[in-house]
Amino acid sequence: MSVTEPALLSLTEVAQAIAQKRVSSREVTQCCLDRIAEWQPRLNAFMSIEADEALAAADAADKALSAGKSSGVLHGVPLAHKDMYYDAGKVVTCGSKIRRDWVATTTATSLQRLKDAGTVRLGALQMSEFAYGPTGHNAHYGPVHNPWVLDHVTGGSSSGSGSAVAARLTFAALGSDTGGSIRMPAHFCGVTGLKTTVGRISRAGAMPLSQSLDTVGPLARTVEDCALLLGLMAGADPEDPTCIGGELPDYAEATRQPIKGLTVGIPSAFYVDDLDPEIARVLDETRATLTVEGVRFVQVELPDQRQLTAACQLVLAVEAAAFHKRWMIERPQDYGPQVLMRLQNGLAIPAISYLEALRWRGPALAAYVAATSGVDALLAPVAPVAAPTIAESDVGNSLDAEAVIQRLTRFTRPVNYLGLPSLTVPSGFTKGGLPVGMQLIGASFDEAVLLRIGATFQRATDFHTRRPELT
Amino acid sequence: MTRPSPKDIKAIAAVAGLPVDDEVAARIATSIGPGFDGFAAVAGTLPFDLEPATFTRVQTAKVAP
Repeated sequence: MSVTEPALLSLTEVAQAIAQKRVSSREVTQCCLDRIAEWQPRLNAFMSIEADEALAAADAADKALSAGKSSGVLHGVPLAHKDMYYDAGKVVTCGSKIRRDWVATTTATSLQRLKDAGTVRLGALQMSEFAYGPTGHNAHYGPVHNPWVLDHVTGGSSSGSGSAVAARLTFAALGSDTGGSIRMPAHFCGVTGLKTTVGRISRAGAMPLSQSLDTVGPLARTVEDCALLLGLMAGADPEDPTCIGGELPDYAEATRQPIKGLTVGIPSAFYVDDLDPEIARVLDETRATLTVEGVRFVQVELPDQRQLTAACQLVLAVEAAAFHKRWMIERPQDYGPQVLMRLQNGLAIPAISYLEALRWRGPALAAYVAATSGVDALLAPVAPVAAPTIAESDVGNSLDAEAVIQRLTRFTRPVNYLGLPSLTVPSGFTKGGLPVGMQLIGASFDEAVLLRIGATFQRATDFHTRRPELT
Repeated sequence: MTRPSPKDIKAIAAVAGLPVDDEVAARIATSIGPGFDGFAAVAGTLPFDLEPATFTRVQTAKVAP
């Protein structure tokens, strides 16, 4: 691809182009800033744009490269991330009014590892308030718009990440996934998103929502890009002892491995129930494509997934309320109505119910492992529908708001409860032009097999290369 | 496990230090009711000797090469 518009390259491609001096970091950064200036008024994807600082950092990166000094594999690559990753000295709003002017004093480990690889900061990306919402609405900063069809939502809570990556405003972005917050925007916006295993990437310095369920992961244009970012961020961190150490797989190499002979399961129920016909069609087409590539499909009978979604709701509600209790007492008026409503849900769950939901996690995972024995991954929809409109999903704190949210996230929450990795890949489009993504769900810490399958799928299809046009 | 009523919720929230009014209690009951219903078959069935580290043990039992 030409480097006349470098913002259209993938992360991997642009990093190589800069390293080989086929394009400068300034040219790349300016190109991204130009696109941001064009798209931001339509999308509302950025919380802050730091043009001058970004260009200065790009110039410094170019100067260093000219002197033969490279910071790492992402030297000079401009990126923006969900505005919940602490970056010392920077305002980190967490999508909230409460932290509108809060300046972080530490830097998140995941973000620091990307900085150490040489990235340049473009600004910060919009998100659902305190990462507590799956649609992309935000009572304080307005909804983020889907670049494919502007009056539709992006999904949340990594709303700006999904929108900005899809519109080619940033090459990739950090998101977080507690109940579906990476996979939902990846599905709705037509980008690749990786929800990692609980314990794979350090959560130190990432705004907490639920200590049991929170995960860090990337949204990017390709599986190859997600593999690159995972390799940079994964691994032990003394600041987060819950993060597992040990030798890491070569994720980039995994994307080049053949998939012939792998077995993928299709759940016999739950994930295939009550699907919009267009989602069902894309699921069938994805299965057909992977079959041609050599995957063997088998039907899998999973344990009752509704119990997992219920347990996830109990755990998330209580842990979120516990994190927010002080502000719920001191500043309830500063929350958006829906987020306050959802936080209040956690007040009503007795400790014994919460602890039972947590204690069941081990047996539930064991039952899942037994049911998926002999299967390398599962293929399932991310949601039963494509992106709804902003208007129809603006349920606020109405009586049925939680039910709407729970319906939308019913295919993502079991994965969070079990702590499993899941890769969302763009897999098709609706007749109305909205993207549809499918999720590949893997065994604990086996992100590599998901990347392997996803990369092969992307070599066989072009859904991930399509991009929305500004009309 | 029985889903809490709005009256129960008012009492629990007050004990938690964040009292709620009738309207909010009713909304919470509607919101979390399905969570209680969905978990009801599991609640009260877990064995006494379930090790606290079971989840981590199962999670790390089969780590990818």
